[in-house]
Amino acid sequence: MRNATLPIAFLLAAAVAAQRPSPAPPQGRSILVKGGTVHVGDGKTYDDGAVGFRNGIIDFVGYEYAVKAVYDTVIDAKGMQVYPGLILPDATLGLVEIDLVRATNDEAETGGLEPEVRACTAYNTDSKITPTVRSNGVLLAQITPRGNRISGTSCIVQLDAWDNNDAVVKADGGIHVNWPRAFAQTGWWAEQGGTDKVAADQRTEQLQELRAFFQRAKAYAGKTVPEKADLRLESMRGLFTGGKALFVHADAAREIQEAVLFAREMGVQRTVVVGGHDAWRVADLLRDKNVDVILQRLHSLPQREDEDPDLPYRLPLLLKERGIRFCLGYTGDMERMGARNLPFQAGTASAYGLGPEDALRAITLDAAAILGIDNRYGSLAPGKSATLFISTGDALDMRTNNVVRAYIDGRTISLDNRQKRLWKQYEERYGK
Amino acid sequence: MQKIRNAANKGRPRPDTLHAVRTRTLISLALACWAVLAQAQRNAPVNGPHHRAEVPVVLTHATVHVSPTETLNDATVLIQGERILEVGKRVRIPAGAEVRDLTGKHLWPGLVEPFSELGIPARPKQEQASAGAHFWNRAIAAATHAAELYTPDEKRAAELRAQGFTTAVVQRMDGIARGTGCAVSLAGRTPAQDVILPRASANFSFRKGSSPDAYPSSLMGSIALLRQALYDARWYAAGGHKEQSDADLQALNDQLALPLVFEANGHQDMLRAARIAQEFGLRFILKGNGDAYQRLADILATGSPLIIPLALPDAYDVEDPFDALEVKLGELKHWELAPSNAARIAAGGGTFAFTTNGLKETAELWTNLRRMVRSGLDTATAIAALTTVPASLFHLENETGRIAAGLRADLVITTNHLLDADNKVLETWASGRRFIVNPEVTEDPRGTFDLNLKSTVLKLRVEGKAGDYHAKVRKPSADTTWVKAVITIEGPVVSLWFEGKKFGFDGPVRLNGVIHDRGAIWDGQGQRPDGTWFAWSAIRQKNGQRPKEPKQTAALDSIWSLPSGEVWYPMNAFGTTQIPDTETVVFRNATVWTNGPQGILPNTDVCIDKGRILAVGPKLDVAALFPRSKVKVPEIDATGMHLTSGIIDEHSHIGIARGVNEGTQAATAEVRIGDVVNPDDINLHNALAGGVTTVQQLHGSANPIGGQSSLIKLRWGRDAAGLRINDAPGFIKFALGENVKRSNWGGSDRFPQTRMGVEQVFYDAFHRAKDYAAEQAHHAALKPREQAASVPPRRDLELEALAEILAGTRHITCHSYVQSEILMLLHVADSLGFQVNTFTHVLEGYKVARELKAHRCNASTFSDWWAYKFEVNDAIPYNAAILQEQGVNVCINSDDAEMGRRLNQEAAKTIKYGGVKPEDAWKMVTLNPAKALHLDHRMGSVEPGKDADLVLWDDHPLSIRAKAMMTFVDGTRYYDRRRELDQDAVATAERARIIAKMLAAKQAGAKVRKVERQEPRQWHCDTMGERP
Repeated sequence: MRNATLPIAFLLAAAVAAQRPSPAPPQGRSILVKGGTVHVGDGKTYDDGAVGFRNGIIDFVGYEYAVKAVYDTVIDAKGMQVYPGLILPDATLGLVEIDLVRATNDEAETGGLEPEVRACTAYNTDSKITPTVRSNGVLLAQITPRGNRISGTSCIVQLDAWDNNDAVVKADGGIHVNWPRAFAQTGWWAEQGGTDKVAADQRTEQLQELRAFFQRAKAYAGKTVPEKADLRLESMRGLFTGGKALFVHADAAREIQEAVLFAREMGVQRTVVVGGHDAWRVADLLRDKNVDVILQRLHSLPQREDEDPDLPYRLPLLLKERGIRFCLGYTGDMERMGARNLPFQAGTASAYGLGPEDALRAITLDAAAILGIDNRYGSLAPGKSATLFISTGDALDMRTNNVVRAYIDGRTISLDNRQKRLWKQYEERYGK
Repeated sequence: MQKIRNAANKGRPRPDTLHAVRTRTLISLALACWAVLAQAQRNAPVNGPHHRAEVPVVLTHATVHVSPTETLNDATVLIQGERILEVGKRVRIPAGAEVRDLTGKHLWPGLVEPFSELGIPARPKQEQASAGAHFWNRAIAAATHAAELYTPDEKRAAELRAQGFTTAVVQRMDGIARGTGCAVSLAGRTPAQDVILPRASANFSFRKGSSPDAYPSSLMGSIALLRQALYDARWYAAGGHKEQSDADLQALNDQLALPLVFEANGHQDMLRAARIAQEFGLRFILKGNGDAYQRLADILATGSPLIIPLALPDAYDVEDPFDALEVKLGELKHWELAPSNAARIAAGGGTFAFTTNGLKETAELWTNLRRMVRSGLDTATAIAALTTVPASLFHLENETGRIAAGLRADLVITTNHLLDADNKVLETWASGRRFIVNPEVTEDPRGTFDLNLKSTVLKLRVEGKAGDYHAKVRKPSADTTWVKAVITIEGPVVSLWFEGKKFGFDGPVRLNGVIHDRGAIWDGQGQRPDGTWFAWSAIRQKNGQRPKEPKQTAALDSIWSLPSGEVWYPMNAFGTTQIPDTETVVFRNATVWTNGPQGILPNTDVCIDKGRILAVGPKLDVAALFPRSKVKVPEIDATGMHLTSGIIDEHSHIGIARGVNEGTQAATAEVRIGDVVNPDDINLHNALAGGVTTVQQLHGSANPIGGQSSLIKLRWGRDAAGLRINDAPGFIKFALGENVKRSNWGGSDRFPQTRMGVEQVFYDAFHRAKDYAAEQAHHAALKPREQAASVPPRRDLELEALAEILAGTRHITCHSYVQSEILMLLHVADSLGFQVNTFTHVLEGYKVARELKAHRCNASTFSDWWAYKFEVNDAIPYNAAILQEQGVNVCINSDDAEMGRRLNQEAAKTIKYGGVKPEDAWKMVTLNPAKALHLDHRMGSVEPGKDADLVLWDDHPLSIRAKAMMTFVDGTRYYDRRRELDQDAVATAERARIIAKMLAAKQAGAKVRKVERQEPRQWHCDTMGERP
């Protein structure tokens, strides 16, 4: 073992004017991270552990004393925490830059049933937001179109890329359906509105429309080479033949039940519920039908006035107790700039009964499994991509999350971002 | 879908057809009486001979309910013209009188409807400024007079008379000041005759109604507008009329001595209205919506008489468990408790009248009243609330409401007691005019008849119930089939037709006749298909089966008699029956974050008493602290836990009713969040559960000069007044940047549209405020004689608030983002001589930290929000750390109900972003906001003498693992995590119990409504209108 141990220090990129730090080059020298607590992502940990990787692939995970191979670079992570790169599902990073500047908004297509629109296309690798998310340990994301009944096709990317070809980890893996809301939303809970009958009628129509569309798509998928190519139906094909998963965005128990039974009836191969506020209430059905859940942002308010204030925090525990596989999302207001808080969602899950390793699993291995990339990502295991990061403290707690190194496919990525640069500029102005 | 449903409906009779037939009958019967009793308007010409005779009418042998508490058996009422001459057991019957024997009948005073729009046409659409010298804002329509608008509406009047109403107080329910109402007799004469009191009331509400003016768009704006109008009216009377003419201000002055009716939208609005009444020395009659019982003590304490609805909430259809999930416990409880509202008000000593306003069918009032009686209302009070109380509220006690000599002959003749389920109103007499509601003898036409058609005899069978009879005919031999016949019965007149082919005719046979002998014999004339006429008769052979009275009444009555739950404060799953008391308690062995010079103390005790912190120290000797008390002070073992002062959220919008922005004008300093505190908002409880004890409720950021803030403590369960921090200084919201220049809302042309314009709004407003203050001071300094001789300056609520800023008694919290606008406001403040207390958000504060420090401004910021709009592009999470380093007092705030319950975590982010020391980070959500709010003499640290606003955490309070175990406000435990579990079980059981009751009620025939879900949306700075 060569002793080229590097001290961990904050690296400030030189090019202050650049929009975002330069993406890292492919892994050259082999790297061993040793001495810290290694969190595998599947629940296991190694105190005084080590992770070794070369050419972007992990070739060692275990206790430090068991390291046999020689690595070019050894990172001393003593007293630190080593984690698999965190995975952000159902995200719009790179689809919108500034919410209220319309020209920067590419998240929602017009129309109604638009499975053919692809997040891969519009994802902006140069977003100034992404580096701020990355520097808290989030290294992979499922970029998902918004709006519409069927919003489009999602795309899984790694968050340090020169261009879109470079970014894509798995293209076109999921079709996203926003399930018709079960209740006419009239008024809000501090003040009631009247019954909105029109909305209730519309819902029936919406369900019929969705059903008809899926029936056509299924029939279309039955023929390998259709007479006339139909973009919408073609994009749905994978749902019936395998290869694509159906992500149904639904929160209320009735919606989830309807959606799951619908997908089953339509012959959809794989279904994931996104949101899932009430998923625990229909757990038997989900377990029975092998449906996973991407849970709503835990840092949210109860959806009903009479619900326990802690209910959103306890949802992971409720699902775990009921044997449902789930991962954690950050969908909602401020979902892009707030995505850097993904680890703290897991921190909350941990505090509310899940425990730290299961909580980590919900933003790493289980997220990878639900998104279908667990063969390469999601946990620290030989043969998997070297996508990991080092934090000086518990990364799931904002008080101690301090990411000092991060690797994507073995590449040592920059942890710099626009906000850090502004910070430094003004520290300098004030003579610090 | 639509088409299919319409087709399916075609076969069935339209439900309103039968009803329409019945109404027509009533009207025609009423018309029949008019000829006899028509009295002409005295000064109007008459076409034909005058009806001069006023024949006395004597109603004898009736049970006369002269008042709610007094009944005369076998008594007589003598009427002449529109008045009662005499009432008693020994009334001498004058010669020439028409005598009506009412043996076995009840006679009641006519009912009085106190809150009605009957006969008042809607306000015409106003697109342009209205003609005439009127108030600038059309929601103030005080110069509206119902007496000038009243247009008889015979259909609606007949509906009311059918239930026994003879008088109504009517108003135009449109606007905030709605003008006067008048009392009308439902006698169906000309308005000149029927308006019996032209100025019966003056009317108000918080709804701007059809006014096309943008202002006000929020509840607080409505309140401010009403207050300003009332002050303007005073000024107008004191001399303002010499400066300008205003019919509405004149009218307001003229009408404030009348009974003042305030339409309030629920118990919170009732208290809000009562507060205005108090400010102006007025008394409102508060029209509620049936939930007064939810804050009964507070409402009764206002001394206001009430008008309460006879309408009751329908049950929800909760058969589907998914639907039932969406019904709020508060709604379930309200359904159960609403019938007890009247009884509770009565028991509390309140005065109330009933209104039918809000009932879908006026006739439902009786079933609802019976439900109220089953919930504890005594019948005399119920009757009084329909008669004497409304009469006296509007000074009509010498006109109506009782049966007494001299009063109007407003009478109701019934078969039974008014509240009896079998009762029927037979006649209603309004101002001496008789209206037959139900013809007394109703022939029962049901049964099997021999129908003699001269040429042939058939069998006729009549079934069904009144208003819905059906008939069929067949040949006499029993084995033949029935043929449907169409039957219509109006009074004693019957018409019947059927297809005659089976009976030897070539087509339809049509009959018309009269029913005699209690339905047993019918006869009349008929026409054959060939057009020839014949005489027919029908003789009953067998009485019809009276369809059994549906059992539902009895079943429902027994459900209504079941015991109900208690009132919870507030009415949701986390409400309590008992608001907790202040505790004397000692926390043992905690890690105490004092926020004082002692810093963080391990293994320390804290004792609280009478709402204050009494002592802080290791191993406190409690006996020495309470030398005179023998009672053992309870202890809380806080070993391993952290005790801190409560979190103070400097920027919050929780607990605000119907609008956080009055953004319709650039400056709205007159509006006050304090007027619209919603103490029942569940977010207050959520915040308590996150360790928050105090919040500044801020106006939004839609305009440069927003409204006045409200500072509250989270005393969960209390009413709005109970949340207020009484000696808190005044605050006001200002705003800069994109929101105020309307960058993100299309099509606005409100000034300002640029940051340049924003600056000028401030200069303009403060120059006006300076002049205003000078004028007021000048007038105040005049000698009394000079004051009397001059027109006093108008009190202006907007300028008054701005003048307070100049005087240093009101502090600014200014929404801001970019450095240029921060410097701009500092410059404006410097040049006009005021101080900017706090820049809130202040996301580019780090760029001008030294200027903020130099101006002694507080900075209240988000931990890590950015990129949601262009002006936050340079926002950085290191902002708090940089500002702190530069010596600025920094707060971390929420502006968001969700983040507001995790402010400890948001503070912790400053450790991550910028390396703030944990103790300093903690102060950013406790002591620092206390300083920014000028409350640090009472709050923000754990030191003796300070308010016992304390949170006990199970872990390091800045850790993601920390949970608030207990939250104390003023020494009162408003949140206790362990007790919540018990409460949860109680709420779950309560929900299950009421759902079971609702299911039973539906089974028994109660009306149900579909469940709807209310969206849990929250207020933010930029939310416009009365709903987010």
